Amino acid sequence: MKIKLELFGASKDLSDKEFLEFNLEEKSSIKELRKTIINYVDQNFKGNNNLKKIIETSAFCSEDNNIISENYQINKDQKIGIIPPIGGG
Amino acid sequence: MLHAKIINLSKEKIKPENAEEFISSSKFGASIVFYGTVRENNENKKVTGITYDSHDELVIKSFKEIYNEAEQKLNIKEKSVFIEHVKGYVGLGEISIVIAVACPHRSEAYDLSRYIIEEIKKRSPIWKKEHYENNDSEWLKGNPIQTY
Repeated sequence: MKIKLELFGASKDLSDKEFLEFNLEEKSSIKELRKTIINYVDQNFKGNNNLKKIIETSAFCSEDNNIISENYQINKDQKIGIIPPIGGG
Repeated sequence: MLHAKIINLSKEKIKPENAEEFISSSKFGASIVFYGTVRENNENKKVTGITYDSHDELVIKSFKEIYNEAEQKLNIKEKSVFIEHVKGYVGLGEISIVIAVACPHRSEAYDLSRYIIEEIKKRSPIWKKEHYENNDSEWLKGNPIQTY
């Protein structure tokens, strides 16, 4: 399955683009996606701890704009947004 | 009555006069317009500007939820609310958010205005990247969003 991860806030430091693409196994959960992104940081950012912390504390958002839980099953190719800790206003 | 919008600064400017116009009505006896602006100092660092990022759809959804909750939590039925938040680079002293409220009485207007900004800070997916005098910049640490 292809996941297009839309980057927001501090997660934009993961790429010069607005998104990252990952291949996940069928029926992966958000838990697996989070691990995959952390592996990406290990490989591309020498395990940068700040980036890892951002990913560990982020929520995720489905294509239909709902915040999804750690156990949310990803069943098809889709866009998912990563929502780092917030603080606007 | 609610107006909720993200202003993408690469396409348009925030216009405070729109807020006053929206909430203006003889039904209401109290109006408050709140502006959030970029200040020059944060944690002893000289700030030159802030870049705001947002998940637009989730932000608008959160603004609507906050507006609807005000009726139950604050018992404010009659109200007019205007909320606009910017996305993009904002210089010192410039406006990042406008919250305008109008209610029949002043106590409701003060409570509602305060409630809206505090809830936005807690749960609307908006992020700030501060830019400093030495040309450094960093995303501010925020609060993790609640996962249900």
